[in-house]
Amino acid sequence: MAYPYRHEKETLVLSECFGDPSARTVAGWKRVGGYQGIARALEIGREATIEDVKASGLRGRGGAGFPTGLKWSFMPKNSSRPHYLLCNADESEPGTFKDREIMRWTPHQLIEGCLVGSYAIGASHCYIYLRGEFFETTQVMARALEEAYAEGLVGKDILGSGVDIDITLHVGAGAYICGEETGLMNSLEGRRGEPRIKPPFPAAVGAFGMPSTINNVETLCATAHIARHGGEWYRQWGTDKSPGTKLFCVSGHVNKPGNYEFPLGFPMMELIDDVCGGMRDGRALKAVIPGGSSVPIMSADDCRACSLCYEGVEAAGSMLGCASVIVMDETTDIVKQVRRMAHFYAHESCGQCTPCREGTTWATRILQRIEDGRGTEDDLDTLVQISEQMTGTTICVLSDSLAMPIISSIEKFREDYLALIRRGERVGAA
Amino acid sequence: MSEIQFRNPGWAGNTGEFDLTEADVRGTDYVGETQLDGGHPSVSASLPYMLVEKNPEAPLFEGPYQERFEKIRSRYPTARAALLPALNLAQELRGHISPATMDEVAELLGLSNAYVRGVATFYTMYNKRPVGRFLIQVCTNISCNICGADEVLAAFLEHTGTEPGETSSDGNFTVVEAECLAACGFPTCVQINSRYFEDVSAADVPAVLERLKSES
Amino acid sequence: MPDNGPRADTVTLTIDGREVTVPRGTSLLHAAETQGTTVPHYCYHPGLSAPAQCRICLVEVEGAPKLQPSCVTMAEDGQVVHTDSPAARRMRQGVLEFYLVNHPLDCPICDMSGECKLQDYVFDEGREHGRGREPKRVFGRDDFGGDVLYYGDRCVMCTRCVRFMDEVARDSRLTVVERGSRAVIDTFFDSGLEGASFAGNVVDICPVGALVSKDFLHKARAWDLDHTPSVCTSCSQGCNIELHTRDNLVQRLMPRENQEVNGHWMCDYGRANYEWMNRPGRLEAPMAGRGGERRAVDWKTALEHLFVRLQGGTGDVMVVGSAEASNEGLAALGWVGEAVGTVSARVFRSPRADDEEPLPGYPLLVRRRDLAPNVDGAGLLGFERAGDDTGAGGLEAVAGHDGIVLVLGDGLADQDVRFGASAGLFVYLGSFDSPAARNADYVLPVTTFAEEEGSFVNAQGRVQRFWPGLRPPGSARPAWLVLGALAAALQGGRTPASAAEVFAGLEAGCAAFAGLSYDAIGESGVRLEAVHG
Ligand SMILES: Cc1cc2nc3c(=O)[nH]c(=O)nc-3n(C[C@H](O)[C@H](O)[C@H](O)COP(=O)(O)O)c2cc1C
Ligand code: SF4
Ligand code: SF4
Ligand code: SF4
Ligand code: FES
Repeated sequence: MAYPYRHEKETLVLSECFGDPSARTVAGWKRVGGYQGIARALEIGREATIEDVKASGLRGRGGAGFPTGLKWSFMPKNSSRPHYLLCNADESEPGTFKDREIMRWTPHQLIEGCLVGSYAIGASHCYIYLRGEFFETTQVMARALEEAYAEGLVGKDILGSGVDIDITLHVGAGAYICGEETGLMNSLEGRRGEPRIKPPFPAAVGAFGMPSTINNVETLCATAHIARHGGEWYRQWGTDKSPGTKLFCVSGHVNKPGNYEFPLGFPMMELIDDVCGGMRDGRALKAVIPGGSSVPIMSADDCRACSLCYEGVEAAGSMLGCASVIVMDETTDIVKQVRRMAHFYAHESCGQCTPCREGTTWATRILQRIEDGRGTEDDLDTLVQISEQMTGTTICVLSDSLAMPIISSIEKFREDYLALIRRGERVGAA
Repeated sequence: MSEIQFRNPGWAGNTGEFDLTEADVRGTDYVGETQLDGGHPSVSASLPYMLVEKNPEAPLFEGPYQERFEKIRSRYPTARAALLPALNLAQELRGHISPATMDEVAELLGLSNAYVRGVATFYTMYNKRPVGRFLIQVCTNISCNICGADEVLAAFLEHTGTEPGETSSDGNFTVVEAECLAACGFPTCVQINSRYFEDVSAADVPAVLERLKSES
Repeated sequence: MPDNGPRADTVTLTIDGREVTVPRGTSLLHAAETQGTTVPHYCYHPGLSAPAQCRICLVEVEGAPKLQPSCVTMAEDGQVVHTDSPAARRMRQGVLEFYLVNHPLDCPICDMSGECKLQDYVFDEGREHGRGREPKRVFGRDDFGGDVLYYGDRCVMCTRCVRFMDEVARDSRLTVVERGSRAVIDTFFDSGLEGASFAGNVVDICPVGALVSKDFLHKARAWDLDHTPSVCTSCSQGCNIELHTRDNLVQRLMPRENQEVNGHWMCDYGRANYEWMNRPGRLEAPMAGRGGERRAVDWKTALEHLFVRLQGGTGDVMVVGSAEASNEGLAALGWVGEAVGTVSARVFRSPRADDEEPLPGYPLLVRRRDLAPNVDGAGLLGFERAGDDTGAGGLEAVAGHDGIVLVLGDGLADQDVRFGASAGLFVYLGSFDSPAARNADYVLPVTTFAEEEGSFVNAQGRVQRFWPGLRPPGSARPAWLVLGALAAALQGGRTPASAAEVFAGLEAGCAAFAGLSYDAIGESGVRLEAVHG
């Protein structure tokens, strides 16, 4: 049996080799067509590669969904300064566990993606920023990278093309905010991982002050396939606004959680009920957070007609984010979980911006008080207002990322809060 | 508590449901031995810096570690950029980052010691104090939390007889709460030194601790 | 404008309904300032980089999806900006509320009270009642070393202090430790700011009472202090400063912005060197008679008698000036000497440090080797340096001179009681008595720079004025007034009534100062080079 869990409806592009230890080697990766993407890119040239990625309609898989080809095209064309490609392998968004799977099963898929991206933007050095906790994953990546160097796939004159591309693994040390693109750059440079004010944008002033592009692991892997097959090929899947396939990280109260790959636009309920084997113990669905913890919570009703693509989830009142679908059943104590999220954002706030530094902590303490049965109804208004004050007022969107779950949970699960405040009743308490 | 029916073989080997061994999942066969000198410069900064044996007095950086440090530095346009890798390496050797270590690393890279302190305290993985031989980090973030992570944390504390952040009297275990470890599909995820133990339930905790003791 | 023409170097935009034109590259915050609107800000400081992190300067820019940080958003043609729209005001109120969630509000015992930006902004726009019900976070107090004390609970995390040490002092001894709401400013454990030469500036730029001066701690309330523009006298850089005084005592010195001299900064050595201005034991009344004969006299008597003795003097004059005396005092000293005969020595002594100390991130500012404010002025006015680098020696000829000896502002600390014993006439003008003035026929009490008006010339050749911030003790008078009156009497001119009039005479008589009017010097000074083209 394959690695957990597979479903026959899946479309396996990125995850074809998950669970196959033999795909970790250069030979194994080549066996499934690996390194043909970078070979074709080198053949058709930089501009054509960017055009392919533009044509594919690929959108960034790190959360923001920004069109990748367009991002690449922002890089200066004829500059003599070094360019950098940064691969964001900091995967820390609660609910997200796809990049780790990609890297530990198919390290060469990412190496190839980094080569394609570097080549397209004219970077001769790519840093892969891995979160510090990923020791095991990093070891697999390291072995693969050494192999790729030994085979002449990375380094000087890659694949005999005359193009030099170095790749370096860089390991973080425990900070969610280093997943934010400019926080990552500061961290890479040996600084506190505090996001930078934009403008200037990374394409102008990025890592080490040089033009830089940053992409998520899954994004870069997709570009390896797009480089191999062309942009139109990728559009055979997904919707017009959300082309291609995507890894959905399903966690929580389903029978078969895991990473599943589907074309974007896949129905949410089919994912939960069919692919993931339904709700654990046959309980009722209560809520879903569809894109990692930084997006609005959806009620069970919101999920019914929701299709999992950028525009589909937006229409349902939330955001696709990195497609990390956290499924919660009727036993879930929403207040506790929102408090836990608030704790996370307060713990991870870099602390530069006042609304985020103070707001995340304050909100956590109010939520804790409510959870402890000492809340008032006024607290809910205060929470909503604090959240509004935290929205759109900071350097990065970490602050907004807490505001959204708070506001949406109070809106959609007000009864849970009131039950606690008025009657001291906790949902899901044993 | 409902029984978790499916087991990811991430930690304890094959539960019978999958054809994969623990080595398959962790990739240990492919990875092979750790090279102390850091191997190829492209990967020198990647290390399992949570080995069991630490020496708080270990010199910075000598022999193969000196070589590794030089390789790391060669990969960045600035000395400052080698700071995180250098602190990682220091922690691998010494187990934690003391003020003296910050000072030494600052000196090595030509940075101010206050600056290094600012950076080191920004990142949670730098232990500012000594920890047990096994640092047990239990994810209690949302996906694990809704599947019982608080109970898993409580079980680790109970079975090690410690309070969060405190080291057990035998010096073996320090248990702390961790944020999302990116293994949300396999709750509860527990990071123990450099390894992930996935799909851990409260009931598994004694067995996990036994295994650690037997390994050490 | 032709398509291929250069871009205009100004932009015109509308701020709060009014059109303003500013140079391209001006931030909205500055643009608003030019039309008199101060947008609240904490992290932004004109002498530092702008991280745009405090988020209180956000303004509404029509067409932008979010409020924009005015400190880093550049003014553009046609922009329509609202600094006081409901959205901007609501946001500021929100940010202020966040600041207060954990702020101790210990204004009654906080040194910053009265000039604190948190107090000001909250008073202007804060919510009437805070909604915080949770207990406040407590960090406590930390001695940073040097003169600096940190009250963590008052800190608004603007990082100005850290950036000053990083970017301007280039001595990264401060850092943010930890992150999020656990973050505090700190040094490297036990080693702190001691020995750093410019660290005192962090106290000035801290917008709240988080960094305070140990020296100034609980000494005076901000609203009780009078501010007088002045010039630091501790070296020949001549940093522009303010004297902050209360009860006729200088309580502290603070830098006053001058982008051509000291920016926003001053050195710790200069900052700390003010106690002498308050020193008791001053000369308060003129005295006549040598040694045991000395007796207090009134100014009228003293000057009349002195005038008579000078008129009948021997004609060989030696004058000792001082690099701490004003241009006006030194010039008038020279005039008196020249009026009575041949000036055979015209000297000053001044201590020199072994090295100078530049402020790396603001290289214009250098703590100079010359530890006195008017070495260059003395030079331009014909005084020659005498003595060694400690400011001693070099007066052998003067000490035994048998003609007229005039001393202004040199305390003669190294000289013994035989000084001036053989002089035909020995006049000593000073603020403090000196054993070596024992043979003086006249001891005339003069004011310090802190008590008088006048000017110095700094090491850049810049003439800079200062103003009186203290009342003089007893009947001490400015040297230029005393000597100006004598010179006028001797030369038959008009007695000058102000430093400006003495300066006018100096301008007429000394080529170096030609063409410069006292008024034109203003509060920020003028470079002599600039006057002469
Ligand atoms: C607080 C915060 C955390 C983030 N964490 C991650 C992360 O862990 N991994 C990631 O790929 N992107 C993360 N992002 C998104 C990145 O900023 C960035 O948008 C992304 O790496 C761009 O790559 P893409 O265009 O390929 O998606 C984060 C953003 C924010 C604001
Ligand atoms: S929003 Fe929060 S995490 Fe982001 S830069 Fe500001 S303080 Fe840091
Ligand atoms: S101590 Fe003062 S200057 Fe420094 S960060 Fe705090 S408030 Fe700002
Ligand atoms: S540099 Fe000189 S003038 Fe400036 S403050 Fe220091 S001593 Fe005074
Ligand atoms: S002054 Fe603009 S954000 Fe602080």
